[in-house]
Amino acid sequence: MQAGTRLVVNKQVFLDNLSLCMQKMTVIGPQKLRGGEVTFGPLRSLRGLTLDYVNDLDPLKRFFLPQREVLFAYDLSGKKPRLLQPEQEKPRLLFGIRSCDVQGLAHMDGFFQGACYDELYWARRRNTLIISMACNRPNESCFCICCNGGPWLESGFDLQLTDLGEEFLIDIGSRAGRVFLEERPMPAVTASRRHETRRRELMEACDAQMVPTAYLAKACIQITNNRVREELWEEMGSECFSCGGCTHVCPCCTCFDVVDCPEGAKSGTRVRCWDSCQYSGFTREASGHNPRARAKERVKRRFYHKLSYAYIQQDGHPGCVGCGRCITVCEAFGLLDISAVVKRLRRDGQ
Amino acid sequence: MENIYLPDLAVIDRIVDETHDIKTFTLQFASRDLRKNFRFKSGQFVEASIFGAGEAPFGFASNPNHPEHFDITVRAAGVVTRAMHALKPGDYMGIRGPLGNHFPLEEVKGQDILIIAGGIGLPPLKSLIDPMLDCRGDFGQFIILYGARTPADRVYKPLLQEWSERGDITLLQTVDTPDAAWSGPVGVVTTLFEKIKLAVDRTVAFTCGPPVMIRFVIQELLAMGFAEERIISTLERYMKCGVGKCGHCAIGHKYICVDGPVFSWRQIKRLPER
Repeated sequence: MQAGTRLVVNKQVFLDNLSLCMQKMTVIGPQKLRGGEVTFGPLRSLRGLTLDYVNDLDPLKRFFLPQREVLFAYDLSGKKPRLLQPEQEKPRLLFGIRSCDVQGLAHMDGFFQGACYDELYWARRRNTLIISMACNRPNESCFCICCNGGPWLESGFDLQLTDLGEEFLIDIGSRAGRVFLEERPMPAVTASRRHETRRRELMEACDAQMVPTAYLAKACIQITNNRVREELWEEMGSECFSCGGCTHVCPCCTCFDVVDCPEGAKSGTRVRCWDSCQYSGFTREASGHNPRARAKERVKRRFYHKLSYAYIQQDGHPGCVGCGRCITVCEAFGLLDISAVVKRLRRDGQ
Repeated sequence: MENIYLPDLAVIDRIVDETHDIKTFTLQFASRDLRKNFRFKSGQFVEASIFGAGEAPFGFASNPNHPEHFDITVRAAGVVTRAMHALKPGDYMGIRGPLGNHFPLEEVKGQDILIIAGGIGLPPLKSLIDPMLDCRGDFGQFIILYGARTPADRVYKPLLQEWSERGDITLLQTVDTPDAAWSGPVGVVTTLFEKIKLAVDRTVAFTCGPPVMIRFVIQELLAMGFAEERIISTLERYMKCGVGKCGHCAIGHKYICVDGPVFSWRQIKRLPER
């Protein structure tokens, strides 16, 4: 088997192998809740798994940058404080993750490497195999086609599956992905022209379901050159509830707070938890001085980070994968999600 | 790979009361290896931890030529700093560092030096002044301007006395509100500018203090004719991780904790928010 060649495996055979993996590692996949919503979580058997799903509202970044995470524990009972590092987690397999979230991981990978390498993030990243599912069920708010976030990807996954009904068509994205296939009793054949045609049809059908609502390019230029009227930021600031929802569900948002959580006087943990640049306390100093005390400044900050060339140059792409989650959660319904803001900037643009 | 959020243990050697709400802590690492190999540069900072209270950033306030001990000067302002003020010599703190960039020390040799400090902005500048005075001959005219709210709010009073007695540097001090014993100038730190003579084309100005003071100082320096790259300042932002990850201290696409805290005015004025 070679990387780059697409393979076809019988779906049930693949799922049976996935089921065997559940004994050795944590397999995380999409499952239907009683109310019908779909969420990703650990699976004990194939019975919990669903393949008929639109994406989870909760971004899958949570499996790599958890909402709350212990950085270390401290013990003050002795003469000298003792610091204890968190334990390594079991190897994991993330099955069925959608392309936008895979692209979100690529964004986070860039951010958490470099001179200040975040080992806590990378330990999870290294021990998790990513088997993504090319998106055949976009949500009405999805716009990944505007952001190179899907519905199919070229890289970023270990394996990318296309659901052909009876079979999975498989793109191999890494050595780990190839090894996964080779090590298991899964008769695979090279994809035929018929398979490739079916894949293309599915891609086109998915594209057709999506309305390209977010033309980022012009907004990027406007923000980079500071050519957005202050009155427009003012207006958007007055509409924002500063709830932080948009940042929490964003696969590209990584800001966190660090706090100590004492358990009695002698021990406790230092944890990090998701924070939001949309909260007024985010930049408030002990002196009371707050450079972004007003919602207007915070909304402006959010979109500067998402769309300015300064950041795009640094990250290689805008801070948006088109998952549409901010559209779903925004309290200022339909006014301040990224696609709405991009539209407003464009309409207002000089 | 290391956990970048895990501090090293340091022991408090000495605590000096500077003012009613400011203390200087002299620290050394608990590990002998670290004590031997630790180096820092003027203008860099540490994240200091009190386990159970949290972590906060402080600029080095001592001479980088003597890295076996280092000082941080701390005003009791929030949860972490109030917990620090309750500590005694022999107690432990967690330390991560050195973090951030540094003042250009080697680069400004041969130049005249102008230091403008306000209140608790003097400690980070002290980590620059100390090594500069170690090789005083490498610099031209050396002027330090220091402003504080009241005479009692000044930090390092014995050191200020020592500096004022030196013939080879000029120290001018001013306070907003004098007390009965104060015979010096009264007013904000920029009022001291009229008392000094400078050659702006061979002087480098370093400033640190409250944001509003820095703003006025930079305005005046520019009005005097200072080139933008000859004005060096520190930027201050609420900071958590100190390693460019938590996002709190970002201004534009710069992170004060890794790209700063030291910037020239030329760099600062390009930032989208100041």
